[in-house]
Amino acid sequence: MTISLHVNGQAHDLDADPDMPLLWALRDLLGLTGTRYGCGEAHCGACTVHLDGRAVRACVTPLGRAAGRRVLTIEGLSPDGRHPLQAAWVELAVPQCGFCQAGQIMCAAALLAANPRPSDAEIDRSLAGNLCRCGTYTRIRAAVKKAAGTGGGP
Amino acid sequence: MTRDLSRRGFLAGLGLAAGGLAIGVRGGRAFLIADARAAPGDAALAPNPFVHVAPDGTVTIVCHRSEMGQGVRSTLPALIGEELGADPSRIRVVQAVGDRRYGDQNTDGSTTMRRGHYEELRTAGATARVLLVAAAARRLRVREATLVARDHAVHHAASKRSIGFGALVAAAARLPVPPPGKVTLRPVAELTRLAGDLPLLDAPAHVDGSAVFAADVRLPGMLTAVIARPPVLGGTVATLDDRAARAVPGVRDVLRLPAPSGPPRFQPLGGVAVLADHPWAALRGRAALAITWDHGAHAGWNAAADRAALAAAVAAPGKVVRAVGELDRALAGADRVVRADYHVPYLAHAPMEPPAAVARVDGGRCEVWACTQNPQSGRAEVARALGLDERDVTVHVTLLGGGFGRKSKPDFLAEAALLARAAGAPVRVQWTRDDDLRHGYYHSSCAQHLAAGLDARGKVVGWLHRTAFPSIATTFAPGVTHGGDGELAQGILDLALDVPAVRCEVGAATAHARIGWLRSVHNINHGFAIGSFIDELAAATGRDPRELWLELVGPPRLVTPADAGVASNPNYGESLDRHPVDAGRLRDVIERVTARADWSAARARGRALGLAAHRSFVAYVGVVVSVVHDRSRRGPPVRADEVWITIDAGRVVNRDRVRSQMEGAVIFGLGLALHGEITARDGQIEQASFRDYPLLRLPEAPRAIHVEIVDSDRPPAGVGEPGVPPVAPALCNAVFALTGTRVRALPLARASLPAAPMAMPAPT
Amino acid sequence: MERAARSRPAHLRPGRDRDRVFVRVLGATAALAAAAGACGGGRPPPPPAGPPVLAPAAAGALRSPDDFLAIADPAARSRALFLEISRVLTHPRCVNCHPADDSPRQGDDALRHDPPVARGPDGRGVPGLHCGSCHQDRNLDHARVPGAPDWHLAPATMAWLGVEPAAICLQLKDPARTGGKGLPAIAHHLEHDPLVAWGFAPGADRAAPPGSPAAVAALARAWIETGAHCPPPTATPAGGAP
Repeated sequence: MTISLHVNGQAHDLDADPDMPLLWALRDLLGLTGTRYGCGEAHCGACTVHLDGRAVRACVTPLGRAAGRRVLTIEGLSPDGRHPLQAAWVELAVPQCGFCQAGQIMCAAALLAANPRPSDAEIDRSLAGNLCRCGTYTRIRAAVKKAAGTGGGP
Repeated sequence: MTRDLSRRGFLAGLGLAAGGLAIGVRGGRAFLIADARAAPGDAALAPNPFVHVAPDGTVTIVCHRSEMGQGVRSTLPALIGEELGADPSRIRVVQAVGDRRYGDQNTDGSTTMRRGHYEELRTAGATARVLLVAAAARRLRVREATLVARDHAVHHAASKRSIGFGALVAAAARLPVPPPGKVTLRPVAELTRLAGDLPLLDAPAHVDGSAVFAADVRLPGMLTAVIARPPVLGGTVATLDDRAARAVPGVRDVLRLPAPSGPPRFQPLGGVAVLADHPWAALRGRAALAITWDHGAHAGWNAAADRAALAAAVAAPGKVVRAVGELDRALAGADRVVRADYHVPYLAHAPMEPPAAVARVDGGRCEVWACTQNPQSGRAEVARALGLDERDVTVHVTLLGGGFGRKSKPDFLAEAALLARAAGAPVRVQWTRDDDLRHGYYHSSCAQHLAAGLDARGKVVGWLHRTAFPSIATTFAPGVTHGGDGELAQGILDLALDVPAVRCEVGAATAHARIGWLRSVHNINHGFAIGSFIDELAAATGRDPRELWLELVGPPRLVTPADAGVASNPNYGESLDRHPVDAGRLRDVIERVTARADWSAARARGRALGLAAHRSFVAYVGVVVSVVHDRSRRGPPVRADEVWITIDAGRVVNRDRVRSQMEGAVIFGLGLALHGEITARDGQIEQASFRDYPLLRLPEAPRAIHVEIVDSDRPPAGVGEPGVPPVAPALCNAVFALTGTRVRALPLARASLPAAPMAMPAPT
Repeated sequence: MERAARSRPAHLRPGRDRDRVFVRVLGATAALAAAAGACGGGRPPPPPAGPPVLAPAAAGALRSPDDFLAIADPAARSRALFLEISRVLTHPRCVNCHPADDSPRQGDDALRHDPPVARGPDGRGVPGLHCGSCHQDRNLDHARVPGAPDWHLAPATMAWLGVEPAAICLQLKDPARTGGKGLPAIAHHLEHDPLVAWGFAPGADRAAPPGSPAAVAALARAWIETGAHCPPPTATPAGGAP
């Protein structure tokens, strides 16, 4: 069936299974590969995107749920890669392998949109679902605070 | 695909301009790679370029190692570029394909900056500089010694004349390359950028999603495959009904993979692949397969019995691998003997990016794109699987979403190649998370028994250490029963120990799964047992653990194999002249890390510190972990709230990436100590998800990780792995200090720890 | 998300044990119950003669309100009805989303939710990690993520996890804690809330509480009609402190 998606401001009509997870539609039907597959079970957060401004795990979001709603992926977070979180991430050299980082940033962006000056505990709570195997966690905290204007560095 | 293996072909394959200056290094010797004429000597042995200067001045650094988070793609251009005198904004990095002419490309064993590579890479940059300077000297008619190469030009200060690199390359490429020893490296003080934090080259691509990992590669007509692999190692398909799978919309084919033969090596595991237009169809198709398996020889493998067998192997004398003095007499004459048994379970790598590879087979040639740590072994395995000559296989290296040793095993590349050939279309093999956890190359489970004889004053007079673990060699050869020297040198043969009687033994162990190497390998096991036991001895004698550590390591000295009582020390492939076992350096990191952690004021209410130190990959690391009670999450009721880690890795190149590797090692070490456990039931791995193989999460991460890098001009040592081994014992020692409970078996999640006392102060 | 229940030995399955013990508690006099408690978990004493003993419930079923008509005194019947209802309310499928703290639970052992999600201001999580970030309006078998419309936590004032039936009963009757919900609204919740419906049909290999939404709602209405009396603090269908 045809599903209308609005991704990063662009409209797409996809002929696809409405049960297909949004993750695969983004990656394999639309070529937006910045949204990563890490577990497929909503355990790692590597596939975090925004649905009408709220963070969701694309790997468990049926395409049908996203129909007609606004999807924002890492590719659409900012026109130039200079969202305050992206800038803070680069400045503090947060990524190691980088694989989880788009999901971390999308989750943090949803946090800052709702809570522009989160405490450490609030950062921990909101990003608790985003795994990083390389162990960039202390820099992630620092970068979120830097982007929020509440912390200077690691 | 690139078929032209001539010099010109290789340079073109890397996108390097003709007419440039290309320098390669092999065995410490630099070569000019002139693209307009034949390479000197045997073309097959000639080096590939590491640095290329184009006529427009663009400097290209060829990154021959895989980027998996350690920052090699940021480090190499800085190191070579500084030696050259290049403007960082005019350097680009290209990723090398797998080719033996780069020398060792296996991004493994924490080797990129050691084993002489540091000097080789600098030699490449220095050779290019020397040739550019020589060309400028001729042009300017001045002596070379009056010229300086910096900021992408050669300058003559006296006459205030400068010539850009680009304008010199044509002439430089016609000059003879100086022989080894005639290329002078710059004084380290001149490598000014290396003194500060280097920018992270790939960070912008990581934060905007444009970074390309293996699963992001797209080829026209590409199918996606997921594979149902035998649940038990060595199992085979007995019956297959694929009708339902084929009926799933988007499924194009169902193919059986050949069963492997002999030891596992890097062979694909076999099984049944579902090929489809996209991963969702492939996954649905796989779920619809009806397969019965012949489970084969390992179906009787069970966790409890496996653990008991390992424990039994260290309950009795094993093969002696290290002996000093008369241990039996020392123990018999001791005032008391303290004994302890330790257990570390099997572990999985669980990189965030599960293995993936894309392959295209075309006219007897194969091209693969993969997240591989070792494109050379990937090339060899693909060639073997397809029956091709290696020269007909090209392996491109994408970014790796973590490796930790898993991705130096190229079974998944060969899967993609086999399926691409069979399907007649490009194929991407996508491993799922449960594939990754259930079909890995597991870190060895290990049982250890330690005993120490103490004299009346509490001094250790005898030291017995028995270890038993399935050897990595079982993955590659039949009949292996014991761990080998290279494995025992990871913390046992090379332990600086100032004890008059020492005996170390290894017991027999059988493998029922593919055993592989995981970040710091057997050092995880041996570092845990040794680090815990020293703390136990301190507790048994009522002494400060730091004091006992220093006493057991002994006075600063170089420990020779003879001193240690071993026949030889493989020493991670390094000579003992260049990288001796240096007790002084181990003492130094202990003293430094405890000073920074304010060890003497260790215990505050509700908080306790633990210490451990370990030498691995010829680096020295000390760790202090602070733990507090915390029952706010599932899992052990403790949390590491602050960690100090000090590394002496000799000279370091990219300080920020060393720091990030230490931060990561702490998280990795805490994760395995708190949660990591792979178990088997009837031959099948029981963990299939992050829900049953948990990794450390952000709220569990320490509030602060304090990294100290020892300033040193000693030869570079490993960095990626050595931070891991001391973390688990330091954590468990801190847990003992906090709770009085000694954890001798990992993970901590299995230990029963006392509940927190009432009214804990909030951690700060 | 709800952890898929692992298969457990039959003797540990909630329904079976509770059915057996329930009979004992209902039949025991207060003195006998206290004595049994003092014995510290020994073999349950045989049902004494005296008040009527209810027939055992069929496996996985709830008794119907009619089964309680044998109890003549309406207040005693009301208390017995509530204990029957509490077999549902204290079931893992219910208490896991009725915690007192900020963490939902998973599985049949009340393990803290992993990932470690937080309640948030409205019981629907926190920015970046809402319940709806992962839970859909139905179970997702391919990801083993349970789901139902508007997946969320009950307010902390309505905590049932680790709470004895008597205390749950008092809580349900306290409008300050139910957010002003009257007792009929609670019966309605049991019968019509999609999350309750999910609890009775949780899918995968998750254990379900006995009965059905309609059956527990019928008991609730009978309990209300008999005066909504609460059982004494020592009476728990599980026969001891949770």
